[in-house]
Amino acid sequence: MTENAASSVPEPLAKRRTYRRLAFGVLMAGVVAGLVLRGAGYPLAGEGVYWLGIVGAIAAYVVSPVPLLDERDTRMEERASRLALTAGAPLFVLGASALRTLNVLDVWTAPAFVWGMGYGFLAVYVLFAAAFAVVWYRT
Amino acid sequence: MNNDLPERRAARGMSQADLAAAVGVSRQTINAIERDRYDPSLELAFALADHFDCRIEDAFDPDGS
Repeated sequence: MTENAASSVPEPLAKRRTYRRLAFGVLMAGVVAGLVLRGAGYPLAGEGVYWLGIVGAIAAYVVSPVPLLDERDTRMEERASRLALTAGAPLFVLGASALRTLNVLDVWTAPAFVWGMGYGFLAVYVLFAAAFAVVWYRT
Repeated sequence: MNNDLPERRAARGMSQADLAAAVGVSRQTINAIERDRYDPSLELAFALADHFDCRIEDAFDPDGS
């Protein structure tokens, strides 16, 4: 049962929409402008603009008079996070095993960046374990 | 979870946005609840029932009957 979006929007919802767009827009603008400036040969300016975007998004989140996320948004994020971790785990396990095996058999030696990605993956799961421990302890 | 929020809303002449503003969630959340695509938290279910001056089990039917 959907409704006409043109119907009048109560003030709290209008404010939420405005501040969400502001936060997301500032963040995206900072990221894109940062990439453009780095690509154009201005790495420090790019980094500065990138951080301006992040700080601007946080500021919009903090000064918003209404919560920018409701419980459904939060639950969707939780489900997406779980899905990503669940899908990533077998890929990580199989991929790491394949890399080690191929390396030992002298079939293929993965370049350093591939190993770096693997350790990055591992760091994500270590972080998840730490976060889970905190949640478990506090629940 | 099956619910009669659309009927209760209509009886009061409220839009989804009005109800969303009244209980502090987005219009999309109310829409998802009414379409049985999202089950509200106990806190939100209480807020909705309180808004319509009824009990949670009057507005929501976990058996879907």
